[in-house]
Amino acid sequence: MQETALTLSTTELLAIPALPLIGAMIAGLFGWAMKERMAHSITSGFVILSALLSIHVFTQVLAGASFHGNLWTWMIAGDFVVPVGLLIDRLTTIMMVTVTVVSACVHIYTIGYMHGDPGYPRFFAYISAFTFSMLVLVMGNNFFTLFFGWEAVGLFSYLLIGFWFKRESANYAAMKAFIVNRVGDFGFAVGILAIWYYYGSVEYKTVFAMTPDFVAQNVTLGFMGWEVAAITFICLALFVGAMGKSGQVPLHVWLPDSMEGPTPISALIHAATMVTAGVFMVARLSPMFEFSETALVVVTLVGAITAWMCATIGLVQNDIKRVIAYSTCSQLGYMFVGLGVSAYSASIFHLMTHAYFKALLFLAAGSVIHAVMAEQDIRKMGQLRKYMPVTYITMLLAALALAGVPPFAGFFSKDLIIEATMAREFTEYGWVGSFATFAVLTGVFMTAFYTFRMFFLTFHNSDRVDPHAKGHLHESPKVITIPLMILAVGAVGSGIWGVTVLDIANPEVLNGYFGDAIFVMDAHNPLMVMAADGGVHGALGMILHAPFTLPFWLALGGIGLAYFMYFKQTTMPAKIAAASGPIYTFLLNKWYWDELYEKIFIRPARSLGTFLWQRGDLGIIDKGAIHKGIIDNIVAGAARMRAMQTGFVYHYAFAMVSGVFVLLTYLLLKA
Amino acid sequence: MANVTFPFPFPDHLITLMPEMIVAIMAMFLLLFDVFVAKGSKTTAYLAIATTVAAGVATWSLQGPDPLVAFYGFFVFDSFAVFSKFLIYVATALGMILSLEYMKNEKHIGEYYVLMLFAMLGMMLMVSSNNFVTMYLGLELMALCVYVLVAYQREVLRANEAALKYFILGALSSGMLLYGITFLYGVTGSFDFAVMGEKLAHAEGDATAAVMLGMVFLIAGLGFKVSMAPFHMWTPDAYEGAPTPVTAFMSVAPKVAGFVIFMRIVADLLPALQHEYQSILIGVAVLTIAVGNLAAIAQRNIKRMLAYSTVGHVGFIMMGLIAGSPAGFSGILVYLSIYLVMTMGVFAVIILMRREGIQGELLDDFAGLSKVRPGYALAMGLFMFSMAGIPFLGGFWAKYVVFMAAVEAGHLYLVLYALLFSAVGAFYYLRVVKYIYFDEERVAFNFIESRPMQATVFVTAVTIVFLGLFPDALFELCRQALVGLV
Repeated sequence: MQETALTLSTTELLAIPALPLIGAMIAGLFGWAMKERMAHSITSGFVILSALLSIHVFTQVLAGASFHGNLWTWMIAGDFVVPVGLLIDRLTTIMMVTVTVVSACVHIYTIGYMHGDPGYPRFFAYISAFTFSMLVLVMGNNFFTLFFGWEAVGLFSYLLIGFWFKRESANYAAMKAFIVNRVGDFGFAVGILAIWYYYGSVEYKTVFAMTPDFVAQNVTLGFMGWEVAAITFICLALFVGAMGKSGQVPLHVWLPDSMEGPTPISALIHAATMVTAGVFMVARLSPMFEFSETALVVVTLVGAITAWMCATIGLVQNDIKRVIAYSTCSQLGYMFVGLGVSAYSASIFHLMTHAYFKALLFLAAGSVIHAVMAEQDIRKMGQLRKYMPVTYITMLLAALALAGVPPFAGFFSKDLIIEATMAREFTEYGWVGSFATFAVLTGVFMTAFYTFRMFFLTFHNSDRVDPHAKGHLHESPKVITIPLMILAVGAVGSGIWGVTVLDIANPEVLNGYFGDAIFVMDAHNPLMVMAADGGVHGALGMILHAPFTLPFWLALGGIGLAYFMYFKQTTMPAKIAAASGPIYTFLLNKWYWDELYEKIFIRPARSLGTFLWQRGDLGIIDKGAIHKGIIDNIVAGAARMRAMQTGFVYHYAFAMVSGVFVLLTYLLLKA
Repeated sequence: MANVTFPFPFPDHLITLMPEMIVAIMAMFLLLFDVFVAKGSKTTAYLAIATTVAAGVATWSLQGPDPLVAFYGFFVFDSFAVFSKFLIYVATALGMILSLEYMKNEKHIGEYYVLMLFAMLGMMLMVSSNNFVTMYLGLELMALCVYVLVAYQREVLRANEAALKYFILGALSSGMLLYGITFLYGVTGSFDFAVMGEKLAHAEGDATAAVMLGMVFLIAGLGFKVSMAPFHMWTPDAYEGAPTPVTAFMSVAPKVAGFVIFMRIVADLLPALQHEYQSILIGVAVLTIAVGNLAAIAQRNIKRMLAYSTVGHVGFIMMGLIAGSPAGFSGILVYLSIYLVMTMGVFAVIILMRREGIQGELLDDFAGLSKVRPGYALAMGLFMFSMAGIPFLGGFWAKYVVFMAAVEAGHLYLVLYALLFSAVGAFYYLRVVKYIYFDEERVAFNFIESRPMQATVFVTAVTIVFLGLFPDALFELCRQALVGLV
């Protein structure tokens, strides 16, 4: 990056994560003494301030500024030094803006959504602390700050999923999320340790600079009988972490269940920010992943499977939040496909647009749930557009963006990923490329279908609302609808903005907007390939070109089919479900992942636990050998000691004299 | 200044005794002064506390890089003595603060503080002695005062019984001590530790048996003062019977003086007999640790429990003596300093809980304290955790330093043994925490309200936490104190 006169103020950079943290601490520690108004004003105010600062930093970085440096030392152990530092570049700032803006919207929305909840200040403390953690995750300049943020967002995700801790299902979901993420985080930690072992540093810049030489040395290690290139091992281990955090198969099972949490956090954590941490991480580490074709192939494959499989599950779900949750898994799969085919910039672009429209979908869904008295089953909704026009319009915009209809945001970013997938050819494993192309194309159709199925069932179709909830139906208050409108601007405009202002899709500038924040080998760069094929320029160009591409018609086809099935032939869905019997059941039961895990992990773990508890803890320690051997003896010893203390002075004197006698005898005999 | 010819030149020699003279003169002055103050006045008490402060100031102003010697080598004033004197001042001053409310209704209360000052004077002489004459002088001065202090509440039968037992056994131990000294004097012809040590290194033939005899009696006599098993049996009775402030005072200050003398003897008198005294001390330590930690489990009275806890601590402190290294000695000083703070804090809480009429010192009396006085409960919990040696509180480092010193000196198995028993010991400390936090209140609490004592609880609790987090300064201080001794 060129030398620039623009410098970023360290204070300003530190204030961005510090403000939410301070807000969280005030609301968390003193929330009990506060009125609701106080708690939400402080936290929301600080997060909004943080968002404004992020936007300011974003504009400065856009003008050419950047920051890299260590601020202080976290710990030193021998020659193992962990600094705390920041790396602020174009990749970081786009994440910062996305995180803080969505977080600010969610904060405001929460004021209305959580009103009257007994844990009101606690909720604000958690989401502010989450925002802090997420900012640390993206702003750090080394693997340890990344890991800190990574674990901290996991913690707050856990706390927020289980926010209504009196609900058993919420506790169960929170534990599930935490435990599944443990699996991923273990891989992640192994990856970081391997980096420390091979590179002797945990700073991004140092590690990235050493990587080409490191790869040239052909370092390998034996892993479960295979000889694996060390770089591949490191990348794959880190990717396991990404799979856990970003809900990729087979570690996706926690994400749909996380919908037990209040809807604002589904929007903030389980759609817009935390789950995209894996995508961010791979993009940040592009200088490493680029050197391992195997790792890229695995990323593509896992992404493609997730994108396709979760889309199929989304087709038949009836819980409004679960439909969106599976959609999130699926869209994250798209992002990973994009990363795997080296279209990092396209993936981050999709991450950003997805953050806006998916947060909007969730918040709109929350608004609906709020209106129909906490009912989440779309079969018990319908015709809601009459009651809640703002929610209706904004959700329509979000749905169009998700389906990828031009000129809404999702169209641009998804289209870039699809084109890059088609353009990329892996030297080995060519079938992965073909499969990924198949997955993302059919995925477009399914995405459009399930999105509009949910949309039509909720807002159109026949009125199936429970009579009791009927009287309660109304549009949500302004504090809920205003964030919807703000996010709707993002859902509509962030695609055009990204393509025109940030020039993300411009193949002539390598990596477009991201510059050297992302590293792509020329041979891999799908944007270059696309450019060679005579790529399309600019937002208008892409829109005009759309009718000549397959994804456009697939998306329209999906919407059309949904319209046909839920407007025209409303008896058809039931007939299809009956006709496709086992397949329908299979999809409705989410491919039986939970049942599979129940069989192979949960039951054996439970029986092992029961065994250790009954036989080990109770059998040996509490009632068995330990108790008899040690505790009983100690108690008996204490009683004997006590009995010796008779209270008679001549006994005491006798003890003293015999003590002297024993010691003397011993010494004299020895001498 | 006129050239005064006393038996010893003045003032060079006597200036070294300035702290001792201040204490002696003030003690005698207070004895007279007390006659003129009204009953229930605390003036005498405050003057006595001021005396300890004055002694501290005098000691501070006297200390320099080189050790001072007075009375032809009968009195030393080295950095070791300075450090231990400060511990004694603090222990005495805190003991007096704890007495302010507890003893206010006693008759002739002035004498009480005078006795404490004289006991302190005795201990000051002890830690400044490098020969048996000064040592014995100090030791008896201290012991006689403490006997009386134990029996101070004349109408309480339990106190009289305790004091009488303590006195009889104390006389027996003094006899043993003198008997041992006689043998050693017979062999060496000197009372000076260093001179005797020199001579003992060359003792041969029949003299060896006499030396062994002398050494065992010496250790038994001194072991009585610091409550080593099996010479500890007076401890629980005396602790229980004595007024609680006296218990606090005598569980700290005489232990400091006793261990200081022990260290001087081990360092100067017995280096030639290292093998022998170590084997004796190991045996005594093994017994002391077991007795202290096991018997404490069976106690229902917290003062008795703390008496056994003291015995247990003494066993742990002996690790430093057994190591016999600079690390071990500085470890002892670290242990004594932290032990002082913890013990005073615990007793302050116990005294604050004394109710009118009832003694308020059974373990059951602590039930439900956390709900009534969360501050006291927290402090007591901290002290108990610290005594159990839970990191990161002061008590953890105290154990850590002496255990490490013993391991470095090659006594790994002894340390493992001590560690096992400190785990046993954790039981009765944590049981107090259980009473405080998990049990329901049984009898209504009725606290003494006393600012100085509440301040004591606060300061000791903060100190324990602070020492737990930043122990380095204390370690360094204790290392410095040993310059010149080992």
